[in-house]
Formats: sequence, structure tokens, C-alpha cells
Amino acid sequence: MQRGPFVPLFDHNALIVAIARSADREAFARLFDHFAPRVKGLLMKAGTSAELAEEVAQETLLAVWRKAAMFDPAKASAGTWIATIARNLRIDIARRETRSRLSQVYEILDEDGPEQPDAAVSGAERDVRIRAAMTELSPDQYRVVELAFLEGLSHQDVARRLAIPLGTVKSRLRLAMSHLRGKLEDLR
Amino acid sequence: MSVAHRPSDEALAAFATGQLDEGLALVVATHLEVDAESRRRLRDLQSVQGALLDASAPVAMQVRASDLLAGDVLTHGIGEPLPAAAAPEAGLPRVLRPYALGPWRPIGIRIAMRRVEVPGAEARVFLLRAGPGVALPHHKHSGLEWTTILSGAYEHEYGRYAAGDFDEADAEHVHTPRVDAVEGCICIAAVTGHVLFQGWLGRLLQPLVRL
Repeated sequence: MQRGPFVPLFDHNALIVAIARSADREAFARLFDHFAPRVKGLLMKAGTSAELAEEVAQETLLAVWRKAAMFDPAKASAGTWIATIARNLRIDIARRETRSRLSQVYEILDEDGPEQPDAAVSGAERDVRIRAAMTELSPDQYRVVELAFLEGLSHQDVARRLAIPLGTVKSRLRLAMSHLRGKLEDLR
Repeated sequence: MSVAHRPSDEALAAFATGQLDEGLALVVATHLEVDAESRRRLRDLQSVQGALLDASAPVAMQVRASDLLAGDVLTHGIGEPLPAAAAPEAGLPRVLRPYALGPWRPIGIRIAMRRVEVPGAEARVFLLRAGPGVALPHHKHSGLEWTTILSGAYEHEYGRYAAGDFDEADAEHVHTPRVDAVEGCICIAAVTGHVLFQGWLGRLLQPLVRL
């Protein structure tokens, strides 16, 4: 598994804000160069064909261009926002034939869940802390987190993929989550 | 609303990644709509996803950014737009807006149900309304039966489930639900599997909804 460095969050946030303010094509190009190949790579790793992964990656970045004005850097960082856009588009494309309404459900939940007054501040802070905490996970923990929380495999499927016992998967995930949540305690 | 029962990490992660069956996902979403703590947990998972995306290995794209912004590609959308959602009904969860609902139909004494049409889902989804004190038959599951309580409450071997609570039952569970004696209960449930008599709701509804 290749594990790159985390890029400073606020640079990417500023690029989206620049698109929203002035349709900044240079900012778009920089975002595209970072995120599109990663969206594509992750989808392919999860078993999506190169062709479909390319399509989702393109649509994801186009959605970033179109929806830039809706981006709220206080709520989530660029990476988190773009990951949820990619998730919704993948659902739309994968379930095109069954006319899934699921991405609308995510959007409704995202619209205005009654937040705590301080949630806007803690949203961005949460991303910073989670990234820091993730660099402290062991490679084994990182891998189960990746399979379970990004590729969406069940614990059983993670165990099968890694050829390790189910109990090991569950305990690694539990440890990883408790480590991540521990870093967020005082934001609650 | 004081929520006592929440989705497991596994269920929430499957929801966060968009891999969950749409019918099951809808019942999770109904819970998320009213429970701030579960929404915080969901956001944590989304934050993890964002971090994983940032740190992941890139695969070269066929197009460049400038190609994408050139020409008419900006007006190209994904597929055909879905038909406009029906007008929201007062008192129903907002996440149900994109879906068509059947009429309330009585299915027994002081019990009524209405279908939630979720095309392409494996799980069947329905709203269930039961009067105060109604007892449901003792039963087992062979599939999943996920429930979010919208109002009122019921109680069974695993605890009391009141408004906002999420009840995640599977083939391991055997239970005998009894509806709150004063308030009655309205809930939304998703049931998977194609076996007869697979859950308390399935068993009850099976002749009527051809589960």
C-alpha cells in the first residue's frame, strides 16, 4: 500500500474558495491534479473499472467547479467535501439503472442537520485532528480502516481480503476508532 | 428526544461509504435525521474518508483540467434527472421525500402499514403503526430487520426502543415486541431476505405485501 503525505488542508480549501469567488481556472487545475487521480485510484482499488473510475473522477471535479459556492471551509476540509461528492456520484453512476435516490438522501441529511452552535468550528478542526491521528495508526490498523471505511467492506469481507481472523479485524477497527475518537474528545 | 440505541460502527460505515442496500440505508438515514450523536459519528467517518482520499495513490487521468472546462462538458450532467420528489408530507422524516409512499392499509387489529417504494433495493421498506399495548408474535429472523422508531415506543428482550432509536436485528435475534401501552408506536423498518416468516414484521405482513 502506498501511503502519501497529507497535504496541508487549507491550501485546498483556499482553491475551492477561489473558484467560488472568481471561477479561477488555475485553482481548478491544481485541485483537479491532486484529487481527480486519487478519486480514480481509490475507485479502481475498490474494484471499479478504469473507465468508470475515470468518469466518476471527472464528474466529481466538475461538481466541485459547479458547487464551489456551497463549500464551507468551516464545516469540512476540501478532501472530506470532495470525498462525499465522489461517494454520491459513484452511487448515482453505479445504480443508474435502478434510479437510486440514495444520493438525494445524503444531500437532505447534509442540508441542515440541527448542529450544535460550535459545530462549524469543530468541523474543520476535526479534519485536522483526524489526519494527525491517522498518521499514528499502525499499518495494520490503517489497512483495515481503509477497507472498512473507504471501500465499505463488511468486517467479514475485510477478514477474507486480508486473510486474517474476523476477531482481529474487529479488534483492529475498535482500536483505530477509539484512537481517532480519543483525539476528538474535547471537541464534543 | 433521548436516544438509547444507535447503529453499530459497521452499519454506519457501510452507510458512510454508500455501500449499504438502499432500503437499509433509508432506515439508518431516518435515525441520523433526528440523532445528533450519530450524525457526529458519521461526520467522523467522512473525515476519515477525506483523509484517506488525500493520502491515497493517484492513477493518471485520461483528461486534463483544461479539457474538462472547455467546450460543452460543463453542461453535461449525470444521466437523466430523477422525477421531482413528491411534496413532503407533514410529520414524516425529510429523508423519505424522494420516495413514493403507499396508502396506510390495516393489516390486523390496530395495526396498519404503508409501503415505501425503494426501487432496486433488496430490503423491503415500510412504515408500521400499532396501537397502544399491541403485542407482536414471538419470532426469529433469517435476514436483517432494521427499524427506526418515529414516535411512541416498543419493548422487547433487548430493551425499550423509543422515538429516534435504531433497532438493528439479525438472524441471531429472537424477540417478542410489545408496543407502549400509552403512546402506541410508529416506526420505519427495512427487512431483507426472501424467506417466509423471517421476522416479526415480515411474519405479520407477509401475506399482504408478498415479502
